[in-house]
Amino acid sequence: MSDERSYRVALVADRYVNPAPGGLDGLAVLTAANWGVMQLPDDAYPGEVARLLLAEIAEQVEEFSRHGYAFVLVGERAGLDQALALVGVAVPPRIEPASADELGEFLAGQPVPPAVDAATSARE
Amino acid sequence: MGVAFVAHCLLNQNSKVRDGAHCAGVYSPIVDVLRAKGWRIEQMPCPELAFAGLNRFWAVREQYDTAAFRRHCRRLAVAVAGAIAARAERGEEVVLVGVEGSPSMGVTITSSDPDRGGRPSWPEGTPEHTGGEGIFVEELHAELDRRGITFRVAGETHALAAHDEDDQRARLESVLEGGDE
Repeated sequence: MSDERSYRVALVADRYVNPAPGGLDGLAVLTAANWGVMQLPDDAYPGEVARLLLAEIAEQVEEFSRHGYAFVLVGERAGLDQALALVGVAVPPRIEPASADELGEFLAGQPVPPAVDAATSARE
Repeated sequence: MGVAFVAHCLLNQNSKVRDGAHCAGVYSPIVDVLRAKGWRIEQMPCPELAFAGLNRFWAVREQYDTAAFRRHCRRLAVAVAGAIAARAERGEEVVLVGVEGSPSMGVTITSSDPDRGGRPSWPEGTPEHTGGEGIFVEELHAELDRRGITFRVAGETHALAAHDEDDQRARLESVLEGGDE
């Protein structure tokens, strides 16, 4: 059985997952570039709702990070830095893309995740 | 139109149990349907990832049905239900899109085998599939019932022997349009 995962995960602001008309469709770019997506809470959520969601996101980021998966941050979300700090994970490389091309180039420029090398070695 | 709260792995196949990722990252057939119908997408946390980790084994419901996993799922359910409640208060429709056959994210089909445990060994095929909700969906359902919030459900069906992408799409479209799966 094959496993198609990319070992690459993008933390993505809601406006790139649910773009307004004419907005940048980050989800489409990330799909084409083979990155997984962890969606950050909509800015419209009440503070306590967002805080709880960000805490769960951070805990999952911690698990991926322990296994050498790559992360980037697309956009921003208030409270994310603090949530990541609580689990001891640094804020990943960030972009506020103005276009699909800019986001695509940013993703293409990321280093190969350590987890890819580990998975390759395990298969050999 | 409304908001579809989707299982984490539908946007991030990296969260799948090992050998379970169908694609590199985003499972686009579900996203495409939601986008085409004008539904917002909201991603739920993966109940298994933070609890059992990336090196977890494939498991059935009974193996996850522990007091500790239930507490973990209830904590997640409170977080997700808060987001759902915020949407429901605006009068938006809510659909949960789960993963059929999953011990935690199944919405109408989960997996069950009361005898499974000990040294990992299992036959090919999917004899453990049975009607019912996964444990996280069960806890979320209870939390939404407590808050008086109604919702519909749909499921991604890759794990089922009878998986058919066209059928999966038709069922999801039907649920988004107001029907039951």
